[in-house]
Amino acid sequence: MSTVVLGAGQLVLIIAMAPLLNGLIRSVKARLQQRKGPPLLQNYFDIAKWFGRGEQVADSTSFMQYIAPIGVMAAALIAALLVPLVGDRTPLTSAGDMLVFVALLALARALLALGGMDSGGSFGQMGSSREVAISSLVEPVLLISLVTLAIGPGVTQFGEILAYGDSRPGDFIGVGWALAAAGFTVALVAETGRIPVDNPDTHLELTMVHEGMLIEYSGRSLGMLHLAQMIKQVLLVVILANVFLPFGLAHDHSVAAYMVGALIVFPKLALVAVGLAIIESSFAKMRLFQLPDLLGAAAFLALLGAAVTVLYQ
Amino acid sequence: MVFHGERHAAAVVTHLDDPWVNQALQLALLLLVAAPLTVLFPFARRIKLIFWVVTAASGLALAASIGVVVTGDSIEFRLWSPAPYAELLVSMDATGAFFGAIVAGVAVAAAVFGSSYAHHTAVDDAVFPLFILSMLIVVAAGNVYTFLVAWEAMALTSFALVIGEGTPRPRRQAAILYLIMTHASSVFVFATFFLAANHADSTSFEAIAGEPLTGTTASLAFLFALIGFGTKAGLMPFHIWLPRAHPVAPSHISALMSAAMVKVGLYGLVRVSFEMLAPGETWWAILLIGLGGLSAVMGVLYALMEQDIKRILAFSTVENVGIVAVALGAALAFRANEQESFAATALVAGLLHAANHGWFKTLLFLGAGSIQTATHTLSLDRLGGLARRMPVTGVSLLVGSLAIAALPPFNGWVGEWLLMRSLFELVSGDAGDASSLAGVSALAALALTSGLAVACFVRLFGMAFLGVPRSEAAERAIESARAMYVTLAVLAGGCLATGLASPWLASALGTVTSGLTGTEGIRAGNDAVLVIESGGSISPLVIAGLLLLLAPLPWILARAFWGSHQRQRGAIWTTGVGFRPSMQYTAASFAKPVRLFFSRLLLPERTVSVVYHGASPLPRLISYTGRVPALFDERLYEPGRAAAVWLAGRVRLVQAGSVQLYLLYMMAALITLILVATR
Repeated sequence: MSTVVLGAGQLVLIIAMAPLLNGLIRSVKARLQQRKGPPLLQNYFDIAKWFGRGEQVADSTSFMQYIAPIGVMAAALIAALLVPLVGDRTPLTSAGDMLVFVALLALARALLALGGMDSGGSFGQMGSSREVAISSLVEPVLLISLVTLAIGPGVTQFGEILAYGDSRPGDFIGVGWALAAAGFTVALVAETGRIPVDNPDTHLELTMVHEGMLIEYSGRSLGMLHLAQMIKQVLLVVILANVFLPFGLAHDHSVAAYMVGALIVFPKLALVAVGLAIIESSFAKMRLFQLPDLLGAAAFLALLGAAVTVLYQ
Repeated sequence: MVFHGERHAAAVVTHLDDPWVNQALQLALLLLVAAPLTVLFPFARRIKLIFWVVTAASGLALAASIGVVVTGDSIEFRLWSPAPYAELLVSMDATGAFFGAIVAGVAVAAAVFGSSYAHHTAVDDAVFPLFILSMLIVVAAGNVYTFLVAWEAMALTSFALVIGEGTPRPRRQAAILYLIMTHASSVFVFATFFLAANHADSTSFEAIAGEPLTGTTASLAFLFALIGFGTKAGLMPFHIWLPRAHPVAPSHISALMSAAMVKVGLYGLVRVSFEMLAPGETWWAILLIGLGGLSAVMGVLYALMEQDIKRILAFSTVENVGIVAVALGAALAFRANEQESFAATALVAGLLHAANHGWFKTLLFLGAGSIQTATHTLSLDRLGGLARRMPVTGVSLLVGSLAIAALPPFNGWVGEWLLMRSLFELVSGDAGDASSLAGVSALAALALTSGLAVACFVRLFGMAFLGVPRSEAAERAIESARAMYVTLAVLAGGCLATGLASPWLASALGTVTSGLTGTEGIRAGNDAVLVIESGGSISPLVIAGLLLLLAPLPWILARAFWGSHQRQRGAIWTTGVGFRPSMQYTAASFAKPVRLFFSRLLLPERTVSVVYHGASPLPRLISYTGRVPALFDERLYEPGRAAAVWLAGRVRLVQAGSVQLYLLYMMAALITLILVATR
C-alpha cells in the first residue's frame, strides 16, 4: 500500500510544483534581463483561468482534438511515477525504467503533434512538423546520456542508479558523466521548448514550435496541455538534479527521512532552475535549420560520454 | 556431396503426443493447393469462395503453428518423394512454427480483407493461395531440397503477383527488378546450403544442425546467408527492389509481402546463423548490427520523403527489418561471447518485433487498401480529414501508427524496450569493447529511428486522417465495407493485446530460443511483469492500466473544482483571411525540416528555373523541382548495371553474325580442347 501512497504523494507534489518551477525560471530570466516580470505564481492564476473557461473548437476537428490533451497529460503523469523525487525509490520500480520514461515522453510528443495537425490550420501543422523533426534528434541525445549513467551500475532504473551514485561517487562521476550531463542539458532545453531551440514567450509564426501546436486549443484543453508541458519540464529538471547529482535523497522510507530529503532536494531543483534561466538568457534563439548543429554536437557529446564510460569503467 | 535419400525416409517419424496439429497442417496445405481451382467456377467466384477457403486454411495453419510453438513438439510428414534424393519433407519445429504463425496470421487477415476489397484480378486471386502455401512450406521445410523448391516457388508466385496482368510500364519494371534481385539472392542461398550440406554430408536440416560449420567456411556461409536472405528480407543495401515491388501489388498482397514474406527471409537467416553455424566471430554480429542500423535509420528517412502511403509503408518495412537485424546481431554477439542467456533474450526481442511488425504492418497496408477504396488515391497530398469520415478505420490506423512508432502501451513499444534492454546488456556487460561500442551505436541508431518513426507516422496519419480534405475524392469518402473495417479493428486490438500480453508471449517463445541457443531467456514474473536475466523488467499491463486510470483524472478533478464547461465550434484560425484547404501543409512541406536536418545523408536536390519577360526584371514564370535521390540505386547499383551493359557491348564484338566466324570459333575451341586433353 505504501507504493500507492508514495505514488499519489509524488503525483500531487509534482503537479503542484510544476507551475512554480516554471514561474521561477521565468522570474529569474526577467531579473537577468532587467525586467520585473510576472509574479512568481502567475502560472497558477493562468491555469485556474483556463480550467474555468469554455472551449472554442475548430469545425474540422476529429476525436484527436479530445484525445491529445488527455493523452499528453496521462503520459506525463506516468512518467512522473518513474523518477525519484525525494527518496531513492520511485513509485514504479519493476513496471518501468529510463527506457519507458523516454518512450512516455515520445508518446506525449506524438499525441501533441497529432493534436496540432487536427484542425487543418497551417500553424498547427507547422508546429507539428518542426516538433517531430527536432525531437527525432533529441531522442538519441536523451537516451544515450541516460544510458551512460546506467552503464556503471548495470541497471536502467533511476532509483538504483541514484543509489549507486550516492554510495560510490568516485566511480559514478567522471569524464563520461560530465559529457552525458552536457548532452542531457541540451536535450532538456530542446525537449521543454526553451531558448535557443524554441521560445515559449513568442507567438511569431517564423519561430514558434510548441505554441504553434497549441494554437487551436483553448480553455480547459489548453490548460491541460500547458500544465503537462510544465510537468515534463519538472521531470527533466528532477532527473538532472537527482540522478546526475544523486546526493541528499532519503534512503529509508520514513516520513522524517523524506522531510529531510525534501529540504535538500527542493533547493537543488531551484538551483538547477536558476541555471536554466541563465542558459536561456545567455543565448539568442537559433534559426530552426541551425538546430542540427547544436543537437548533433549534443549527440556527439553523449556518444563520446558513453564510449568513454564503456572503455574506462 | 553424397545424398542419403534412404536415411531421410527412415527419419520420418511422427513423434507427437497430439496428432491434431499434424492433421491441421496437412489439411491446410491441401486446401491451399485446391483453392485456386475455385476461380474456374463463376458461382464460386461470385461468392468469393477462394478467400474463405484461404481463410480456413490459414486459420488451420495458424492453429497448428501455435500448437507447435506452445508444446515444442515438431510436426513431421513427407509430402512427396519424386526421386530417392529429392524428397519433399515437412518438419516444422518451434522456430519454423513461430514464423509459420506469422505467415498464417497475416494470411487470415489478408484473406478476410481481400473478400471485400476490389482492386485485384482473377489471376491475383488464383496465385494468392499458392504464394501463402510456398511461404508455409519454406518455414516448414525439413531438408535443403524442400526449402529450395519452396523458396523458388515463393519467388515466382510473388513475382506473378507483383507483375499482375496488363500492367503499365513502371509496375512491369518493378516486377523485373524484383525477379533479378530475387534470383541473384537465390544463388547465395544455394551456396550457403551447399557449404552446410557438404560439410554435414546430408541435406536434412536436423543432420546439418548436428554438425554445424566452423572456421572460415562458416564465415563464408554467414556472408552468403546475409546476402541471400538479406535480399529477401529487404536489408540495406540489398533492399532496392522492396519499396518498388511491395506497393504495386493489391493491398492485401502488399500486406502479405511486407508483413510475412520478409519474415521468411529473416527465418532463413535465423535458421542458418543459429543452427547451421557454430558460435562464430564477433565481426559477424557487428556486421549484422551495422547493416540493421543502416536499414533502420535510412529506411525510415526514405519513408519520410515519400508521399504515397504504400511506398511509405514499404520503406518502413526496410526500417523494421533493420530493427530485427540489430536484435539478431546482438544475439550473435552474445552467442560468440558464450552468453547464451542474453543471446536468448536478444533473440526473443527480435522474434517479438518480427511478430509485432506482422500485426501493425498488416493493419497499415490493409488500411491503405481501405483508403484507396474510399478515395481512389494513396497520395497524402490528396487526402485529409478522413478521421471524421471513416471513424473505425481512423481509430484503427491511429493505433497502428502509434504501435509502429514504438509508443506505449502497444506491442511495438514492448519489443523495442526488450531490444534496447538487450543492447544495454551488450554495452554494460563483459562482451568485449568492440561489442560494447557496437551496442552503444546501435542504441543511438535505434533512438534516432524511433524518433524518426514518430515523425513518419505522425505525418502519415496526420496528413491522411486529420485536417481538411485536400481533394474532392477525400471529401466524399465514406467508411469502408464491414469485412474491411472489422479486420482493421481486430488487428488494432491485436496490437494492444499482444503488447499487454507480451510477458507471457515472450516466455512462450522459450521453446524457440531453447532450440536455437539452448536457454529460454525470458520469464514472465509475478504480476504480469516481463523480467530478463539481469533483472531489468517492464510491465506493459501496469503502464496501460495507469494510462487508462490517469487519463480521465484531470477532467474529473477539473469538473469537481470548476464545474462542467461549454464547447463551441468555430472557424480555424487563419490570421483573419478565409480558409482554403490548399493552405494546409503538403506531404513535402511537412517533411521539410527532416529533409534539411538530414540533408547530408539524403542529399536532396532542387532546381529553380526562372523565365523572364524579355528585358523586364520581373519574372514571368518560376518553377521549382525538388527530389530526394535513391542513393543506393544511383550510386551503388547504377554503376554495376552500367558496367554490365558496357561489358555486354564489348562481348558483342565476337558475335559478328557470320557463319564462317562461328565455324572458326568452333575450330579454335576444338583444337584448344585437344591440346589440353593430350598434354
